[in-house]
Amino acid sequence: MRCLRILVAGMAVFVWFGFQIAQLSAAPTAKIVEVKGEIIDTWCYLSGVMGGPDAVVGTAHHTCALWCAAGGIPVGVKAEDGTVYMVLKVKGEDPLAQSDTILELQSDSIVAKGEHYIRDGINYLVVAEVVSNAGITNKNHDDFGVVPGFAIPELN
Amino acid sequence: MMAMKNLAVLVVVALGLVAFAGNAVAQDYSKGSNAKTFGLSGEQKATFSGKVVDIHCELSGDCPANCGGGNRTLGIVRASDNALVMVSKSAQFEFNGAADDLLPYCNKNVDVDGLLIGDDPGVKSKIYMVQLIRETGQTDWEMAELWTDAWKKRNPDSSGEGPWYRRDERVAKQLKKEGYLGLGLDVDKKWIAENQ
Repeated sequence: MRCLRILVAGMAVFVWFGFQIAQLSAAPTAKIVEVKGEIIDTWCYLSGVMGGPDAVVGTAHHTCALWCAAGGIPVGVKAEDGTVYMVLKVKGEDPLAQSDTILELQSDSIVAKGEHYIRDGINYLVVAEVVSNAGITNKNHDDFGVVPGFAIPELN
Repeated sequence: MMAMKNLAVLVVVALGLVAFAGNAVAQDYSKGSNAKTFGLSGEQKATFSGKVVDIHCELSGDCPANCGGGNRTLGIVRASDNALVMVSKSAQFEFNGAADDLLPYCNKNVDVDGLLIGDDPGVKSKIYMVQLIRETGQTDWEMAELWTDAWKKRNPDSSGEGPWYRRDERVAKQLKKEGYLGLGLDVDKKWIAENQ
């Protein structure tokens, strides 16, 4: 009988613990952060569809990054520690709005300030302000060429 | 008696840990999937059900009508585990996202088939490429390939030959201003001459 009570109590504790975890997962709260990093095309970077991660950033991949951003693929900030933040808004604009804001930042090295959310392993950033913008500093086209190769029609 | 009690406590803790670990470990959603594979990083076929959501709304409570009307990144809250799955890519292979394919199902329950992608240490979860979608309860699948038609409607003046990304006015404006490499037209000109 005592064992049964312990078993039931244990299960109750476990259910409560699981519920708390689920609540944390479902309702993240934002923190205000500053993130220093490069604006990237997250699909090419994470999928490896066009090569390794060092080839699908910077000048080598700039034109493709413009295509992907205009194509509605989520833009991200790759921070200096390697963390990728998915950008949900930039300076009050939704990311898929038909404006130039995100395209003008593509491949740039920036410091972004905004709300940081994390849910189910993905970091999200609502960029309130681009604190600084050094432009494109990752000049990797001499190492990788242009990725994909057809990005520059004159080379085909 | 004390030993029995300790044993019972240990059993309860062990069962709890096993159950928790079972939930925490990524589930296999490949059973029943007919998704095309491409050999992408961390690629896993995955079919599941869930509710289409505006990700920003889901996280922050800032919820415009109709999931942002196509201006926001959409995702799916998976029914089996309440995970928010970021849908980054449609079935089209012309640099297309998935918002146009998900938007008709805003806040509705859908079944999807596609690929979970990614194993980068900087992103501790996979993103999703949706290939097929249907409202839950329907039998026929729709291919997730609405983007290029939606682009034509958004850009009625972008005429000419070639794929959309060669004709898109916003892309053309950036390329005209900063070049293919993003460093200016003079850098482009010199580099192209050296590499032709």
